Amino acid sequence: MNMTGLERLAAALTGQPADRVPVFCNLFDQGFKELRKKPQEYYANGELVAEAQLQMRQRFGYDNVWSLFYVGKEAELLGCKDILYASDGPPNVADFVLKSEADIHALQIPDRLEELPAFGETRKCLEILKREVGGTQPVCAYITATMALPALLMGMERWMELLFWGPKAARDELLEKCHQFFVREVQAYRAGGADLLVYSNPFGSVDTVPMRFFRNTALPWIERDIQAVGTAGVVYYCGMARFNPVLDLVIERTGIGVYYLSPLDDLRQGKALINGRGLTCGVINDIALIDWSPAETRAEVSRMMAVGKPGGKFLFGTGVMPLSIPEANIQAMLDAAYELGMYSADE
Amino acid sequence: MNMSGCFIQLCRVIILMNNQELIDLYNQAVYDTDRDAALEVIHGALKAGKTPEEIVFEIIIPALDQTVKMIENDDSMCLAQHFMTSQIASEVVDEMLPLFKTETEHRGTVVIGSAFGDLHSLGKRIVAGCLRANMIEVFDLGVNVPAERFIDEAILHHAEVIAVSSMMMHTARGDRGALGIRKILEERSLSQIRLVVGGAPFRFNPELYKIVQADAWAPDGVSASRVIWELIKEVRG
Repeated sequence: MNMTGLERLAAALTGQPADRVPVFCNLFDQGFKELRKKPQEYYANGELVAEAQLQMRQRFGYDNVWSLFYVGKEAELLGCKDILYASDGPPNVADFVLKSEADIHALQIPDRLEELPAFGETRKCLEILKREVGGTQPVCAYITATMALPALLMGMERWMELLFWGPKAARDELLEKCHQFFVREVQAYRAGGADLLVYSNPFGSVDTVPMRFFRNTALPWIERDIQAVGTAGVVYYCGMARFNPVLDLVIERTGIGVYYLSPLDDLRQGKALINGRGLTCGVINDIALIDWSPAETRAEVSRMMAVGKPGGKFLFGTGVMPLSIPEANIQAMLDAAYELGMYSADE
Repeated sequence: MNMSGCFIQLCRVIILMNNQELIDLYNQAVYDTDRDAALEVIHGALKAGKTPEEIVFEIIIPALDQTVKMIENDDSMCLAQHFMTSQIASEVVDEMLPLFKTETEHRGTVVIGSAFGDLHSLGKRIVAGCLRANMIEVFDLGVNVPAERFIDEAILHHAEVIAVSSMMMHTARGDRGALGIRKILEERSLSQIRLVVGGAPFRFNPELYKIVQADAWAPDGVSASRVIWELIKEVRG
C-alpha cells in the first residue's frame, strides 16, 4: 500500500487501514534558509513561501504543506504595518493596531479578506500549493480564534486587562469584530483551497484561563466560532498549551474532529479521552528536540507511537519547530516516525 | 443589598477573621480572577482596623507565598491566575506604601526585561508585579532589550539580579539574550550579579537555563519571584 498524505489523513480521520500514521511537520522559519533568502524578501513573496514548503516536503517526505507565513500576518490584514524580522526566528508584530478604546470602535473588518492586498501573497501561495500537491497532500492554514485574536491586535498584556477588568462593552465589541474577522478568514482560506484549518486558541486551554472562565466565557465563544464555520477540516489547537482537562467538553459541545495536543499533555490520557470520537494528534516536544541525540529522538518517537498507534485515528505532529533544531535531528525524528508509524497487516 | 451595603457586611465578617482566613478569602477572589472582590477584602481589612503595614506583611506577602507553595504542589494554576495574583498584589502594595508610618527599605533590586528581539511583555509584567509586592525594587527595561543595557542598568541600580524573559526559542538561546548577558558579566568580572531566565521555551526544556548559562529559572511568573528572592538573599549573604 503506497498512500499519499491526503489518503493517510483521510484513513486516520475515519479509522480505515493505512500504510502508516500520517506525519505532519511544521517548517515555517526554515523556509528562508531553504531558499537562501533574507527573511523580509522571503515573507513578502507567496511564491517563495510556496516554493520552500514544497521543496522541504519533497526532501523530508512528510504528509502536509503549510500556507502560513507567520502568525502576525493576521494582524497585517487588520492594519498592522510594522513587523520585526529576525534572521534566527519567526517575525513578530512590532506595532499593535489597537492602542486605545477608540481604536476598538474604529476597527473595521473588511468584507472580503481574499481581495485585500495583504492577503494577496497568501492567496498566491495557496494557489501554488493547490496546483502542485492539491489532491495528494493536505494544505494547512492557521486561523486564530476569536478570543485569541485581540492578543495579536493589542498585545496579550492589554488583552488580559480588558478581558478581566476592562469595560465590558469594549471587550464585547472587540470580540464581536474578531468573530466577524474569524468567519471571513475561514471563508477566504476555504475559497483558496485549504484542507485543514488549525483553529488556534490559547484561551481554549485551562493553562491560560481558569476552568470557570473557560466554561462561562471561552467555550461559548468557541462554540460560536465553530457553529459559524462548521467543523469541516477544523483542528483544535491551543498554541502549545495543554487541553486534556477540557477535551471532553470541547468534543461534546463543538463536534470538532481533530485535536492537536500539547507536547505537555499526557498523550495516553488524551487519546483515551477522545476515545475514537476524533483524530488524536500527538505532538513531539520540539523544543527538547533541539538538544536530543538521534537515540533520544527515536526513543521519544517510539514512546509516542506505542501510545498513539494502537486502534488508529492517530497523527504524529510537531509544534513550533524552532530554526535552531539541527537538520539531522529533524531527519532522525521523521525517519523514526515513518518507520515506527508503519501499520502491520493485523493493525 | 447595594454595593456599599455589601461592603459593610463584608467588613463585619472580616473583623472576626484571623490573618489566615483573610488570606484564604483574598486568594480565592484572586484565583477566581475577580479583582473587585480581592480589593474589597483588602479594603475591608483596612476598614476593620488592619494597618497598611499589616496588609502588606501579614496578608499580601504571605498570600503570595501561599500561592507559590500551591503552584509547587499542583500545576493547575493558569496564566490568568498568575496575572491576577501579580497585578492585584502589586496594586495593593502601591496603594499601601505611601500610608506606611515609616519608610520601608526595599529587600533587593532587580532589573528585568524581555530579551533582545522579543516583544512579549506579559511574563515579565507578572514577575515584576510579584517582586514589587514582595518589597523588591524593580527596574523594568521593557521589551527587545540589548544585553549591554541589562548590564548597564544593573550596575547603575546596584541590582543583585538580572531577570530575562523570552517567549521564543531564538530569543531564549540566541547570542544576544541570556548568553550575551553572561558573556558580558564574565568579561566585566560581575560575578556577584545573578542571572535568571523564564518564558515558554524554558517550560518545554527545564534544562535550557543551563544551556543559556543562567543561574536559575522559574516555570511561571509567580514562582519566579521566589527564585529571585532566594538569589537576592544569596548575593546579600
